[in-house]
Amino acid sequence: MTVLVIGYGNPLRSDDGIGWHVAGRLATDPRLEGATILQRHQLTPELALDVSHADLVVLVDARSGPPPGTVATEHVDPAAAQTSGTTWSHHLGPASLVALARELYGRSGDVHVVSIGVGSLELGETLSPAVAAAVEPAADAVVGLIEARPTPGSPSAAGVAGA
Amino acid sequence: MTTEERPVTSTSTIVIDPITRIEGHSKITIHLDQDGEVSDAQFHVTQFRGFERIVQGRPIHEMPSIMARICGICPVSHLIASSKACDQILEVEPPPTGIDLRRVMNLAQIVQSNALSFFHLSSPDLLFGFDADPAKRNIIGVAQANPALARDGVGVRRFGQQIIEWLGGKRIHPAWIVPGGVDAPLSADTRDRILSTIPEAIAAIERALTWYKTTLVRYEEEALTFGSFRSAFMGLVDRHGNVDHYDGWLRVMDADGRLLADRIDPTTYQDYLGETVEPWSYLKSTYWKTLGYPDGVYRVGPLARVIVAGQMGTPRADMELDEFRRRLGRVPSSSFHYHYARLIDTLYAAERIEELLRGPDILSPRVRSFAGINSNEGIGVSEAPRGTLLHHYKVDDDGIVQWANLVIATGHNNLAMNQGVKQVAKAYVKSARLEEPMLNRVEAVIRCFDPCLSCSTHALGEMPLQLQLIGPDGALLDELMR
Repeated sequence: MTVLVIGYGNPLRSDDGIGWHVAGRLATDPRLEGATILQRHQLTPELALDVSHADLVVLVDARSGPPPGTVATEHVDPAAAQTSGTTWSHHLGPASLVALARELYGRSGDVHVVSIGVGSLELGETLSPAVAAAVEPAADAVVGLIEARPTPGSPSAAGVAGA
Repeated sequence: MTTEERPVTSTSTIVIDPITRIEGHSKITIHLDQDGEVSDAQFHVTQFRGFERIVQGRPIHEMPSIMARICGICPVSHLIASSKACDQILEVEPPPTGIDLRRVMNLAQIVQSNALSFFHLSSPDLLFGFDADPAKRNIIGVAQANPALARDGVGVRRFGQQIIEWLGGKRIHPAWIVPGGVDAPLSADTRDRILSTIPEAIAAIERALTWYKTTLVRYEEEALTFGSFRSAFMGLVDRHGNVDHYDGWLRVMDADGRLLADRIDPTTYQDYLGETVEPWSYLKSTYWKTLGYPDGVYRVGPLARVIVAGQMGTPRADMELDEFRRRLGRVPSSSFHYHYARLIDTLYAAERIEELLRGPDILSPRVRSFAGINSNEGIGVSEAPRGTLLHHYKVDDDGIVQWANLVIATGHNNLAMNQGVKQVAKAYVKSARLEEPMLNRVEAVIRCFDPCLSCSTHALGEMPLQLQLIGPDGALLDELMR
């Protein structure tokens, strides 16, 4: 099973960089041996190719709204992605990235988002205490998604075919 | 950060969902006269960055990395211009291989940024037309209607981004280019990996050119009204008079193909180029001093490069340039042709990267020269994706920056962009009420120039694009916001 983890955000805006911190933490985690781990500022159209090649894609991102440090996991529904509207061309949301991968390459991996509630978006490279404490739980959430995948070779372990 | 994706709302009234498809945020005002005709239009850049002030007091060795933060799209351009300015302050000449490796990364930057502009930002307009439903006029719409074109866009941009990442360790803000050269030599493995990706990149760019040339005939009207006016053009050329993105001399050509100036040492830019500011924009305007302000309008960027150069200097790009000139003449006046020129520029860059990587000394370990502070002033120049870029620093004897001036490609084009906006507004704004196709055309003429507002205004936060229609009494008649 090919696994792609993308931590994204702005690491110069404090908690917005949580995706980078989690990706950095996972880069040395033996539980993710063989996985591709990327740190990116945004989800860009070029990532559609990577998403199409992977069986499982986990996007790690900051989220405004929930209490700081709250870790949540969400599955990106391919059916919803197919009809997702987007007007930006510099960067995409998770559903649009899936849609683009399916349109251009005929498939996408099974995509999940691990999000972490933010406290501070001020200029700075350090995380606020509550968000810093969420790095490990967020990393564990990523690992949990990988471990929950069906055994390789089973029909549901393959990527999601495009329309 | 995750936010909800919202579908586009297509209305004929006020609100249009966020979309700009330019690098930054801006506002346009259109003024009507007593007869309801457009009398003037202004392109306001509403964000402020202030890097010229921020760097004062910083040590010179920090400058390339600080200046690269000006932009997430073209950081390499600022790295190069900044490092070249620092070279002058150190009074060092980088080793030839160091220069060639800088050239490779600069050209990779040209490729990825041009690909973003053409495929991701402009191809939706070109594929669907300027009157099309904005809900499909975006990259997902392109992927659905012409997936081969969209795949080529993804592929070409990845090609440029990967070279930057392979050389510099990351795609955005790599620190590999340093004063004196580059930080580490090229490995045979990295060279061979890059070389293996070039044939497909060239094929994709050529497919895009073929598609564009068949598409161009649909836009004869836009070509006549999208910033079509007589002006000078400026760009760097090498000792043969061919295009050069890294070094060389400034050449300025007028609308009739005559050289206004040639073999200008870029370090003397202040003798030729004036800079001014207007109260309605944070974007400086530059002008050709002998023609004065505001008459000294000139254009830079891909269109200027292919106009001022004798040839591109690579086989495929030269064939395309010949065809470009047969179709459009020696000095095409319309800014619409930035798109065409941008593709030729991209093709050249891919070919030139291959030439450089096949050079006999490209794997030399001698890639950097070292020195202390030997001069109190330095000026670095290069061709950024959007045109000629100048960094000018003055330092004290300890190498602490006392003063900095940045002449950014988008600033060179500011007067031309304002002329283009006014021309499109006169052609398409025919009532006291704004409608989406008007907005899109006014926006699209700016998009031809591919302005980078983050680069050129030195903003925290974002301001949405506003299009305002102002009556003869100064009253706001209508407004569209994104």
